Amino acid sequence: MLILGIDTSCDDTSASVVEDGAKIISNIVSTQDEIHKKYGGIVPELASRRHIEMILPVVDEALNKAKLRFKDISAIAVCQGPGLIGSLLVGVCFAKSISYFNKLPLVAVNHLEGHIFSSFLEDPLPEFPFIALIVSGGHTNIYRVNSFGLYKEISRTRDDAAGEAFDKVAKLLGLGYPGGPLIDALSEKGNPETIHFPRPFVDKSFDFSFSGLKTSVLNYVKKNPNAKKEDVAASFQLAIIDVIVTKTIEAAKKEHINGIVLGGGVSANKALRRRMEEIAHKEKIKVYLLPPYLCTDNAAMIAAAGFYHFKEKDFANFDLNPKAYLPL
Amino acid sequence: MPCPVKFHSRNEAETKEIGRRLGEKLKPGDVVCLYGELGAGKTTMVKGIASAVGINERDITSASFTIIAEHNGTVPFYHIDLYRVEPREVDGIGLYEYLGRDGISVIEWAERAEKEIPDGSIKVRFNYTGEDSREIEIEGIEL
Repeated sequence: MLILGIDTSCDDTSASVVEDGAKIISNIVSTQDEIHKKYGGIVPELASRRHIEMILPVVDEALNKAKLRFKDISAIAVCQGPGLIGSLLVGVCFAKSISYFNKLPLVAVNHLEGHIFSSFLEDPLPEFPFIALIVSGGHTNIYRVNSFGLYKEISRTRDDAAGEAFDKVAKLLGLGYPGGPLIDALSEKGNPETIHFPRPFVDKSFDFSFSGLKTSVLNYVKKNPNAKKEDVAASFQLAIIDVIVTKTIEAAKKEHINGIVLGGGVSANKALRRRMEEIAHKEKIKVYLLPPYLCTDNAAMIAAAGFYHFKEKDFANFDLNPKAYLPL
Repeated sequence: MPCPVKFHSRNEAETKEIGRRLGEKLKPGDVVCLYGELGAGKTTMVKGIASAVGINERDITSASFTIIAEHNGTVPFYHIDLYRVEPREVDGIGLYEYLGRDGISVIEWAERAEKEIPDGSIKVRFNYTGEDSREIEIEGIEL
């Protein structure tokens, strides 16, 4: 069964054809990094305008590359949120139109659910139940995933998402955008033990809080204007990774679960992946790491999760509206 | 117009408490503008304000990513964060659809949308006085 997935939640326009929620036939991602770079962040209005220009060619290319036409597709899956409302609107309206015109069923997918189901696109497949850590520019969430559709939120961020902390620290160090990959690369040249930034553990809950860490980095840089950027970046990165890894492993142990799935753009961070595998290995927990193109936003994950909605006959109507804030 | 009032906050908890006091005085249609650099305590104050209108403060997180986060408290609550918005791009995000209507709007980095801010808005300015302490000046409302 072939599902066409569409994702326009943030700054990437993406379309993909996936077979049976598992096999990627095509996955086209048109990134806008070049457009937003000079602003040091995503400019929502520019993002939506670019989506309007790109949505048709990207969907066309996804079908062409798969050598398929609409008549071969069983359903359209679209990301309904969370994300930037103007960006989401483009994908949702486009999906509704092609669904109506081609008489294809429409399913709505939560972007976070998509990130969880990315892991079903790559061998080895995780076994239920598992822990999912979704860590990106907009989210830092831990879920217990019991099966398709059964998610328990264990924790989330109380203020900044991890990717946002990376972006803000990169900006205050004058590194540019997007911050994650830049800090990851710079940290390889620095000593992470130089500065001991606080590890923000929120009381005894699994919730994250990175706002204070960002403020400590700012205070440190103000007081030490000649500090080596490599060392500040590496020390910050180690602090944030320490918290993410510790909380995720502790959550898995508390839930008696021995599998952890990582998703979201920050899960492409090399130091995070190394650390998570190292600590999980000691605890006899298996970590499912995805190739970077499945960590970041992509429509294959929307098609994958869409397949399960389709099987459950969980269809969307044409009154489907995008939602900027949409907890899973 | 009431005179500006100055508060001294020694930590996050106190900033939140000042926010809660402010929140208790707000009514639908009010717009609160927050000014202060990174880490000044703006989102922390939003948590306090939101808690006064029946919103779980855990539901208030940084809105930098989605720019506008809508919450349903005893009144609609719009948490707006313009950190990533260029002043000349402000037109495109549709602020006028939120400000001064049925709900309470709180805007972080409000200086990026000065032209869109309605007259009579409440202004809150944060200044660093130490690593954790802040001076918070609130203007435009009797507390």
